[in-house]
Amino acid sequence: MTLSVCGLSAVRSGRTILFPTDISIEPGARIGLVGASGSGKSTLGHALIDALQDQGARVAHVPQSPDEALDPLRRMAFHWREAEQALGLPHDAARQHALFRALKIEKGDLRKRPWGWSRGMQQRFVIAMALVGSPDVLVMDEPTSALDPVVAARTMALLEEYLSTRQTAMVLITHDLGLAAQRVARLMVMDAGRIVEDGPTSDVLTAPQSAVAKSLCMHRNWLELPC
Amino acid sequence: MLELHGVCVRYGKVDTLCDVTLCVPAGQTLAVVGESGAGKSTLIAAILGLVKLAAGQITWAGAPVHTCRPSLVMQEPRAAFNPVLPLRRSIMEPLTARAEQLSDARLAHICNRLELPIDLLDRKPGEVSIGQAQRAGILRALIAGSPLILFDEPLSALDAVTQKHTAQLIADLQDEMGFAALVVTHDLGYAAAFGDNIAVLRKGRVEEITPTHAFIQHPKSDYGEDLRQAAFALGALGYGA
Repeated sequence: MTLSVCGLSAVRSGRTILFPTDISIEPGARIGLVGASGSGKSTLGHALIDALQDQGARVAHVPQSPDEALDPLRRMAFHWREAEQALGLPHDAARQHALFRALKIEKGDLRKRPWGWSRGMQQRFVIAMALVGSPDVLVMDEPTSALDPVVAARTMALLEEYLSTRQTAMVLITHDLGLAAQRVARLMVMDAGRIVEDGPTSDVLTAPQSAVAKSLCMHRNWLELPC
Repeated sequence: MLELHGVCVRYGKVDTLCDVTLCVPAGQTLAVVGESGAGKSTLIAAILGLVKLAAGQITWAGAPVHTCRPSLVMQEPRAAFNPVLPLRRSIMEPLTARAEQLSDARLAHICNRLELPIDLLDRKPGEVSIGQAQRAGILRALIAGSPLILFDEPLSALDAVTQKHTAQLIADLQDEMGFAALVVTHDLGYAAAFGDNIAVLRKGRVEEITPTHAFIQHPKSDYGEDLRQAAFALGALGYGA
């Protein structure tokens, strides 16, 4: 079922940081939300999560850094139990094992605290936690920017493989059009709190309409810079 | 020319850097890439004299490296400045410490080249954008006039467009001033676009030092190839490996 939200907006300190925005998300969609720092991407991501949850949809969020998701004083097993309990799910060892295997963290020691795991494994654990309730939509806010490129590429490939047989839609928030272009079929370009362009990735890349999309396209590849 | 010969740094029983030998000629850029924990930040700390060498030596033009007073541009632009002082105070500190003066014309010139309005320097770090704060960090490194500037992930806090713009500003200033640059980065795209040579550091050892154009075609080390593949997968080098 396609999920739709209308009129998402946000105001902070009297300033509108997100103008009324409508979004529809089809099952299994791969959507990239791109734009410069301060363009309102994360704000829209948060508003989207709240609005979808209010509709009763299952939404999960993966933050930029595992530090934001994991309590350094708690063992990994506690985090996992908490993720299950938050969704009212009973503990299911088979489900846990399947997710851990998919994200290649089955060798991680759950008795350890987050800092006993590498950052790449921590972030994959956070992604596994987000997937525990088989969400309708997975909102990922710069999920790989805190990781090594090698680890980042591997993490995205594992996630993509896991999602390929499922209905979960993914919203990937990033400032990096090059990254989004590799991963999503539909791009939404944001500027100053508005979506200024929304279309198939190939259209946006080959014929960007807005000034900000043109600038992002020109700067998407380090080896073909306009200057 | 910056030269490292057989440099080892040991934390307890662990060799964080092991037999590192490399050089960066004046006017050139060496990009140092490698995974987290490879020893990239320790390399910078060693050149700055912040950690003791267990073996080896680090020289600039044959003399101990501290004689050239290397400058550092840090990763987190806002955290690199005292949050309660105007940027100007922090930027001038290297000169104030040496009781040196900087002419207004020189300051205005470098600000202009960095596209940094000079009145912005009277603001505090939290009152400017991250991109502006990082350009102020570069300004601080440049006005000290050092022939060697170390960059520790200088672009990772910036967005994709600002990254490329800032990288170009650094390259233009390097052409003008001729400093040697050692850039530690995760981003092979940046390394490929602006480095003369790429050094791969892994587990404290230099696995290869290769001219950039050769590296992009065919890295010599396995980890270099992993990095190259990842850069394609992440879109940093274009589309399709």
